[in-house]
Amino acid sequence: MAIDLAATTAVPADRIVGRPGGRGRRPAARRRRTLIAYLFLAPFLALFVTFVIVPAVFGVWISLTNWSPFRDSQDFIGLKNYLDLFTAGSTTSADFWNSMRATGLFVVLSVPFLVVVPLFIAVLLNRKLRGATFFRTVFFAPYVLGVAIVGVIWSYVFDTQSGILNHLLGLFGLPSDTPWVVDTPWVWVSLVGVTVWWTAGLNTVIFLAGLKGINTDLYEAAALDGAGAARTFFSVTLPGLRPVMIFITTTTILASANMFGQSFLLTNGGPGNETRTAIMYIADQGLSQNNMAPASAMSYVLFAFLAIISVVNFRLQRERSEKAAS
Amino acid sequence: MTTRLSRGLGLGVAAALAVSLSACGASDSSEGGVSGEDYDGPAVEVTFWHGWTGGAAPTIVPKLIDKFNAEHENITVKNVPQEWADINSKMPLAVKAGKGPDVAVLHGDDLATYAAQNLLQPADEIIEGLGYSEGDFPPDVFEMGDFRDAQYAVPWSVTPLGLFANKDVMKKADLTEVPTDRQGYLDALEKLKAAGVQGEWVDGYVFTGTFEFQSLLWQFGGDLYNDDVTEATFNSEAGVEALTWMTDLVDKGYSPKNVAQDGNIKALLAGDTAFNWNGVWQTTNTAFGDLDWAAAPVPQIGDEKAVWSSSTHWVFPANKGQSADETSAAATFVKWMNDNSAGWAETGELPAANTVREDPTILEKYPNLEPFMEQLDYAHYETVSPGINEANALITTAINEALTGKKTPQAALDDAKAKADAIIEQNQQKYGD
Repeated sequence: MAIDLAATTAVPADRIVGRPGGRGRRPAARRRRTLIAYLFLAPFLALFVTFVIVPAVFGVWISLTNWSPFRDSQDFIGLKNYLDLFTAGSTTSADFWNSMRATGLFVVLSVPFLVVVPLFIAVLLNRKLRGATFFRTVFFAPYVLGVAIVGVIWSYVFDTQSGILNHLLGLFGLPSDTPWVVDTPWVWVSLVGVTVWWTAGLNTVIFLAGLKGINTDLYEAAALDGAGAARTFFSVTLPGLRPVMIFITTTTILASANMFGQSFLLTNGGPGNETRTAIMYIADQGLSQNNMAPASAMSYVLFAFLAIISVVNFRLQRERSEKAAS
Repeated sequence: MTTRLSRGLGLGVAAALAVSLSACGASDSSEGGVSGEDYDGPAVEVTFWHGWTGGAAPTIVPKLIDKFNAEHENITVKNVPQEWADINSKMPLAVKAGKGPDVAVLHGDDLATYAAQNLLQPADEIIEGLGYSEGDFPPDVFEMGDFRDAQYAVPWSVTPLGLFANKDVMKKADLTEVPTDRQGYLDALEKLKAAGVQGEWVDGYVFTGTFEFQSLLWQFGGDLYNDDVTEATFNSEAGVEALTWMTDLVDKGYSPKNVAQDGNIKALLAGDTAFNWNGVWQTTNTAFGDLDWAAAPVPQIGDEKAVWSSSTHWVFPANKGQSADETSAAATFVKWMNDNSAGWAETGELPAANTVREDPTILEKYPNLEPFMEQLDYAHYETVSPGINEANALITTAINEALTGKKTPQAALDDAKAKADAIIEQNQQKYGD
């Protein structure tokens, strides 16, 4: 990613400075400019290498050992930690796949809402309505809250007996004893709902930026051709948002797959371990139970899944946009 | 997204740190000659780690430390409060690198895990020098610091469970006395039910369903693990009886279904229920305010008296290259703190030192602590075995599954036992035995 960035920033600089006539000095000048570009990138690169690349490589090593912070030397045990994950009956496999199931379920349930709801809000806010800025702030506001605060607020709302939500439902004659954070399937409704409330603002803002980037001539043309609101949305707005859409679905899937705080705070992974997500289980195993080696192996399995999903998602959407372009 | 990113980075950093630190050699701790006398060597700085970040502690601890520093010219104690969870993830690596604290407070159930990893100095000499023995603390508390025939810790505080009662709610069923035994408790719950009140809301979370279950298990004559902690025994007849008692509370209508975490203490405060099994720490809950409430020993439901309690202890970490002077000064600090721990009751914990706790002035100032002190004669403490908390977590899962109707009490406890046994076996490999 860092190299891509270097390439894209170097190009415009080239165009500006590289005037015709100065051809003789060009290679040297280019080298210098490349050097300068790398110099500017160096601080980020240093951090990226120290805090992402190096730990990631160490993580691979840890996952291949019986690593324990309390021993002085670590033994290489090959792929055992990985094989254990795929062996029924080992101490980690059932719990790990159970947590992967929880993560998968959360992704499947939350991502559609986290894409559609913000898109809908963004389209509404993009109209020239009075107080749009106000509403934009309102929808974005929850995003600035920390997950701890979100957890505390909603645990008051969701309490089975004394929660505000059940109280309100009771006033309308609806069932007032729904176990929102205690039992399935309600726990999933709550977790998805809270996550949408909490993070939809970010996607909304990104969609809004995308909407502003669509050429208004297209809307004019569509209007002249007699397209209605729905037709305009599907033929102008959606295709115009395609690059933004790829970005949002990819990042939203990754964010949902990394869900931790909501179920940690609201449901405690319950009922049983039903809502204990992969990240929650990995963090518990690695940091609380000192099983760093199996936890590293789990991280890489999760990483493999996410990498595949991201690539597939990217491919699918790119193909669609290529088809649309041709 | 930034929070998620930084969390991910945090994990990475921890991993990187762990690796670079693990390269460092084992700790070769030298033990200081410690006597009951105050440390009188050259001026030293003693780093003190603890997890008291909430309640009254953040004002009390610095005050105590300032006072200690003022009274001791050659010792400067540096106060380093942080979340308990952070201590557990940081301390092993810090100690291995020689950057850990000179003295720390740990929860009783973590002591063995630390000791097994050679993170703590065997403190027999220090403790002998300070003149402490079993008899200076409530029964079974001092022994928690004993691991593989060495004493690693000095008790600091104990925090038993108790019965909190909302007397205004009790009045609705014409109840005046807080029940103390099985029949009395059932009668009270029945009367409350007749008056339209669900008397005790039972929850399936660590706070406090797990503590209630463990209290009941011991009352019915069972135990969590066998004596040498090689096998889980909480699925015994006593365990099933204990968990069935809890599910019965729901089935008989004494408790609503699906109580959320902390739902029961909130309900007690809101006047929706009469009883709540909760820890002594709730006595300082300001939300009780003007409420007419009382604390009592937990009722005796089973055949014997028993109640869950946790404890905290002083330890002397075995930092790589630990200075004997600093450990010696730390011991002086521990002794002074225990002698001056009367004010600790303010935080809703009972000082462990008998001389301090049994001083009548404490009860004059904090009368609500009395029922909790009474229970210390028969309180049970957490299991001492390295890595045991991973197995303990399964107990909560079982209680949760039984209370949400996912499994019967027997099936839930059997499943948890099977997993716990696997974890105990894994722990034996991990920590040696």
